[in-house]
Amino acid sequence: MSGAGFENIRALIVEDNAHMRSLLRALLNSAGIKEVAEAAHGGTALTVLRERKSDLVLSDLAMKPMDGLEFTRQVRNSEQSPNPFVPIIMITGHTERYRVEAARDAGVTEFLAKPITAANLFSRIAEIIERPRPFVRCDSYFGPDRRRKAIENYAGPWRRQDDFQDRELR
Amino acid sequence: MAAAKQDPHVIGPDIYPQMLGRADAARAMMTLRSPAALTRAQAAMETCKGPMRKAILQYVEDLEAAGGDSARVYEKVHDIRGFAETVGMVTTGRIAESLCRYMDDMERAGRPVDATILALHVAAIARAARAEEGDQEIGEMVAAELAVLVARRLSEIERG
Repeated sequence: MSGAGFENIRALIVEDNAHMRSLLRALLNSAGIKEVAEAAHGGTALTVLRERKSDLVLSDLAMKPMDGLEFTRQVRNSEQSPNPFVPIIMITGHTERYRVEAARDAGVTEFLAKPITAANLFSRIAEIIERPRPFVRCDSYFGPDRRRKAIENYAGPWRRQDDFQDRELR
Repeated sequence: MAAAKQDPHVIGPDIYPQMLGRADAARAMMTLRSPAALTRAQAAMETCKGPMRKAILQYVEDLEAAGGDSARVYEKVHDIRGFAETVGMVTTGRIAESLCRYMDDMERAGRPVDATILALHVAAIARAARAEEGDQEIGEMVAAELAVLVARRLSEIERG
């Protein structure tokens, strides 16, 4: 059962450090994801995405000249983006709250803090498969729903059309 | 004229293309949860760790050579912070993290970095990295010798 289920998956690693790219590739390979492309920064990654279908992206945050946040914004919002819905796992050692919020607001799907472990990476991929999040489009944002939890006694304000539909259904 | 404010529009997971179809998703989840896949992944990580630890020692040399060039220091310390803890050099990673945070905060505040704080961190990172790499080598040697000892004893028991 070596890597069953991932035979047709193509992944893209966006990371400026060659050693970290090798490590991530090895981890994906061990899950059965054999088709893995690499890019050293966001600009190259956008080119790769346009030339080759990718089903999953693992991206570092701090890279030059284009960092992971700008890369994510481009993937989500650019008219040239081949797949604005592609899952993006942001992998970074920058775990300060403002950076996590910036990654969320750029449209990342999952956030994985370094140090990396196989179990943590697998759990993020499992989360994407098992609990795919709705996408939200509004004036200032397009990307996975940033609300992780439904708050039982939330009294509003209600901002979305389907919020009203949901409440009427209850 | 300002654009009219748009109501948020929600696109459910059943509307947009998913990474995997339903059948493959079920199989993929079994893979991700299987101890065999996790063991394979951990073994794959182990093979990467040796070269990564060597790379960290090279970054440490670059860091020491960077002197007071804070841009160069940041570049190297960012690399070290990026994977020191992943390869088990926990103290090195934590000191690198502390320096990265300090440099980030000073940049956000528009203030110059303090040369003494920089130099103290660089010295501590260098010392920790070399000590942790040394410990790792000793640990690997001890583990290898113990494995030989265990194999020999088991072999003696089998022979009666």
